[in-house]
Amino acid sequence: MSTRRSRQSSTGASRITDDQIIQLLSKLQQLLPELTNRRTNKASASKVLQETCNYVRSLHREVDDLSDRLSQLLSTIDAGSPEASIVRSLIM
Amino acid sequence: MKSIIIVKLDDVIDCSTVDVLFLIIDLNLQESKMHDSSQLKKEFIKKWVQGLQICCSSKRQMSILERKRNIKLSADIALASAKNATTSWSKALISEAKKDREKNILVDNLLGHESKFMGAHQKVTSHNRIRSKKILRRSCGIGKRIKKMGYRRSDSPTCIAKRLVKKRTQVLKRLVPGGESMDEFSIITEALDYILSLRVQVDVMKNIVNATNLLN
Repeated sequence: MSTRRSRQSSTGASRITDDQIIQLLSKLQQLLPELTNRRTNKASASKVLQETCNYVRSLHREVDDLSDRLSQLLSTIDAGSPEASIVRSLIM
Repeated sequence: MKSIIIVKLDDVIDCSTVDVLFLIIDLNLQESKMHDSSQLKKEFIKKWVQGLQICCSSKRQMSILERKRNIKLSADIALASAKNATTSWSKALISEAKKDREKNILVDNLLGHESKFMGAHQKVTSHNRIRSKKILRRSCGIGKRIKKMGYRRSDSPTCIAKRLVKKRTQVLKRLVPGGESMDEFSIITEALDYILSLRVQVDVMKNIVNATNLLN
């Protein structure tokens, strides 16, 4: 039963939303830092997807790196300084 | 830009935590070009700072690694929770965190009553069952196709392009939380939103790291 439903929806979706997929890919392309410098129509679907994956991975790495730096900063704050009390009331 | 931060923070030593937060948010907003993300930024900052106060304020000494894990987890949960269950990736992120024994307690503390609505364990297992049936059926079909067609199909450029797109889509599915059970259309819409949200997360974290750095 679920296969019949999914088959119907997949063929229905491919008939109606091919253009939508192309539109979505161009929207995605505008977000990517690597591909916005060139003219918008040049990048192929596989290139857009590849750059998307690379961008998501780099964003993950940035979050990881920033968490690292923040944890180091928070652990080295002098306990008694007035600045520490600001940060402590803010974050800790 | 840096001096402005110092002066403003000095002025508001007496103000409440939330006021200082919104000051940092205002500085963020002035830099951001996308107006849609301002609401998300406010929600994320609010929830992340609450989360940090919950998981980083323990009196015992935490190792740097443990503190980092808490910071990262509270940031991810805050980001997903700020979406208010409007996207699949945010729901998947929270339910994946709840599966991990160590993280589950922290997630419940961070989200409070919200976490009861976010648990999607049953949905995921039924997806897995449907997926494994589909995989079995597909593998049977592919075997027959290879015997019939031989190697002629792989020469066509459109087939190569399609295979590339398929390959990249699979990689993207693994990167976006909950992507494994999404169809082609959804994975692209979810990836769009996920990238915008990740950018918000990185922006806010950068600003807080810089502010903390200046205070040191």
